[in-house]
Amino acid sequence: MAAALTNQLHALVNNMFATGLLDDQFQQLQMLQDSSAPDFVSEVVTLFCDDGERIIGELARQLDKPNVDFDRVDSFAHQLKGSSASVGAQQVKNTCIQFREFCQQRSRDGCLKTLDLVRTEFYDLRNKFQVMLQVLPNVLKIHLTLSIEFH
Amino acid sequence: MAAAAPSPAPAPAMSPKVAVSPKAVDRKVVPVVAAAADEVSNEVHVLAVDDSSVDRAVIAKILRSSKYRVTTVESATRALELLCLGLVPNVNMIITDYWMPGMTGYELLKRVKESSKLREIPVVIMSSENVPNRISRCLAEGAEDFLLKPVRPSDVSRLCSRIRW
Repeated sequence: MAAALTNQLHALVNNMFATGLLDDQFQQLQMLQDSSAPDFVSEVVTLFCDDGERIIGELARQLDKPNVDFDRVDSFAHQLKGSSASVGAQQVKNTCIQFREFCQQRSRDGCLKTLDLVRTEFYDLRNKFQVMLQVLPNVLKIHLTLSIEFH
Repeated sequence: MAAAAPSPAPAPAMSPKVAVSPKAVDRKVVPVVAAAADEVSNEVHVLAVDDSSVDRAVIAKILRSSKYRVTTVESATRALELLCLGLVPNVNMIITDYWMPGMTGYELLKRVKESSKLREIPVVIMSSENVPNRISRCLAEGAEDFLLKPVRPSDVSRLCSRIRW
């Protein structure tokens, strides 16, 4: 049973790397996890998910205003870009870069479209992280030990 | 620097009590407690400043993996408060994000370097943006180094190996 779950988890995580959802920075976090901080990855991922949800809410609120303050929108996009880069959430990070370009252009349409995209990508990523962390937490620890050996 | 005024010289490091000016008592200043779980195998103490909770967690872990004691704060104003009031004992290095709401890391760097009490502390700036002007301004202002985010363990170990503790 454990072996089957480990394989599934392995497949999930590998797929996230292969499809560009995650990049090397996530591996850096995996390698930092150790016996003195056995829940490090899940803690950082949880912080990212909470932060991301908050920021996406703010972005929606800001873009809903009759007079959009694009500098403010940009600063939220910048925050999300930063935290996604720090956890290795490559796809979300890249979309945030696009987002900031629309902010520079003062394009509300562009921002709204990109917000939709970043929201979809963020929640997809969050769901996958939740599978990793909540459904299979102990398996994750085994996986992380194994993946360090493989890398 | 405006903030320099009130606190008397901090008590020696080993003393449990810290002299605090009357003004500070009125404010909600919560004494900082270093995380009990830290393995202190050397005395190096780093103050990490970042408004992002994710980045604080990552930089703290990177530093703790090198056996440094880490105190994290979420703003430059808070960092200055703790430093000036002597509430963080013996800080050997400050590592700070550049772009933060309120006081930026650059402003924190300037305040530290202007302070006779604090200027010897090496200050490292982190930023997610590679802006050459920004980097050279920080270095000109006395920053020890400038790290691009996302910060990796290798960046930090390279940096720390150069600093004379």
